[in-house]
Amino acid sequence: MFTDILYTLSLFSFLGFSFILIYRTTKIIHFSHAIMISIAAYLTYLFSILYNQNLYTSIILSVLFSIAIGTFIYRFIYKPLQKKQIPPWQMLIASLGVYIVLQNLISMYFGDDTKSFRTWEIKEGHKFLGAYITDVQIITIVVSIVLLFLSWLFIEKTKAGKQIKAVSSNPEMANILGISKEKAILVSFALGSGLAAVAGILIAADTDMTPTMGFNWLLYAVIAMIIGGMGKMRYLFMGALLLATAQHLSAYYLDSKWMNATAFIILIIFLYFKPYGFSGQKLKKAEI
Amino acid sequence: MDYILHLAILIAIYTILSQSLSIVAGYSGQLSLAHAGFYGSGAYTSALLSVNYGLPVIVTLPLAMLLSGIIAYIVSKIALKTVDDYYIIITLGIQVVIFSILNNWQEVTRGPLGIPGIPSISLFGFSLDSKISFLIFAMLIAGFIWFIIHNLVSSPFGRQLKALSEDEIFTKSLGKDVYQAKIVSFVISGMLASVAGVLYAHYISYIDPTSFTIDESIFILSIVIIGGMRNLTKIFLATVFLILLPEIFRFIGMPSSIAANMRQIFYGIALILVIYQYGRKKTEKREIAT
Repeated sequence: MFTDILYTLSLFSFLGFSFILIYRTTKIIHFSHAIMISIAAYLTYLFSILYNQNLYTSIILSVLFSIAIGTFIYRFIYKPLQKKQIPPWQMLIASLGVYIVLQNLISMYFGDDTKSFRTWEIKEGHKFLGAYITDVQIITIVVSIVLLFLSWLFIEKTKAGKQIKAVSSNPEMANILGISKEKAILVSFALGSGLAAVAGILIAADTDMTPTMGFNWLLYAVIAMIIGGMGKMRYLFMGALLLATAQHLSAYYLDSKWMNATAFIILIIFLYFKPYGFSGQKLKKAEI
Repeated sequence: MDYILHLAILIAIYTILSQSLSIVAGYSGQLSLAHAGFYGSGAYTSALLSVNYGLPVIVTLPLAMLLSGIIAYIVSKIALKTVDDYYIIITLGIQVVIFSILNNWQEVTRGPLGIPGIPSISLFGFSLDSKISFLIFAMLIAGFIWFIIHNLVSSPFGRQLKALSEDEIFTKSLGKDVYQAKIVSFVISGMLASVAGVLYAHYISYIDPTSFTIDESIFILSIVIIGGMRNLTKIFLATVFLILLPEIFRFIGMPSSIAANMRQIFYGIALILVIYQYGRKKTEKREIAT
């Protein structure tokens, strides 16, 4: 169970980070982020199985394509809408619309059944602390830790990263100081979509893919983000840890079919008793 | 001919669903994604009572409405802790919880197997076995609910809902109980949605949890948004349009496997365009004001 928790924890915090990056700069609940996860997996399938390319080239290609699609969604759908200063819930509905369109395009082209780009044989996992863990899961954990660290370095140490931080904490002030909001948002969309694409490929390598696979993972990441509160990385990490532990405890003591409900019950409890999450930062989303 | 009647019955059921959601989404300004949950709880309550205990619809309908009302009361108490996009996420969460209870509590709901053999409705000795008689019954119910909702939203209570969706703090300052109005509207909307569920269960005679998923909630909400949130007639027209859309696609020669996806793509695009249109109206208004 420990290894399962570690595996989901790394994916939750990885996806949660990619989501927060976009949320903090644009204040959009970007539901079509979920489709980045599926798109990347399906593109890898397309390149590696249907066009017989090397697995690594196809992974790189599909991450690049996903980045292009992510920035495209911002540039041609969100940006014209943001200019009209519509309220956040309308933005969320528009984003849901984008998700529906793209998900059905995937279903139409590839079909609704499970696809897999696995060409290797499934081996029995390694025994680790009394549980089994597969190679893919170890790779997932390592890759997410490395990429999270690199993105953290990018945000903290480079100029573009600092601009993203400035725009997300105070857009007006950043504007006055001559920081291009447009550029910061585009960079965060590119980085966020790229990270989500990597997560999608890793998930598909472990459990194969369906067109709707991204939605549940994204919802978990959003829950981890909300119960963590929008603060720093460590709060997101705490939220993800709590969520992953609770889910696997419920799978262990009740049944794995209740994992989904457990996640949302935790969310509901948190929004009811502690609407600002661990960090306690006020967001003006939860009132009374 | 039978198929046309089937579509007409579906239109009646979805009109009830979308118009009842309009009370909450359009009038009191709370976008709920939990509507399919109330639809499902109505369908399951009536189906279980009539299959297990042989109760007539005249008894199960009020019980289904009561149960959905209680669920809606609890849900709104929780959901009203938040606003805006968080409200949508928390109602989405509630929808997932309701679905997973229907799907996983197998001792009661039989889970993914569903409930077969739900008897058709019989009223005062008449059995509504044929499609045409059921259609008339469904249309009567839908018309009656339309009448109720129309009266409700043009009553002082309806005006209060409109006011609070425009400016909550201002409405509060006029001495109106905003919190209570939101709860009452949510409960009424949930109860009316359960009526649609009862109709659906006794019409199809077999229900399983896949009819009450989050996709269903998104579909109902899209009808309301495309229909312009508040206008009951336009919402009815949007329902007719979106129910008949796959048939139109089939008519122009699309295979039915693609038609289902095309419908979703179509309403996804419609959602984006409608939101775009909302934004334009608002900027125009602002320009006039300044």
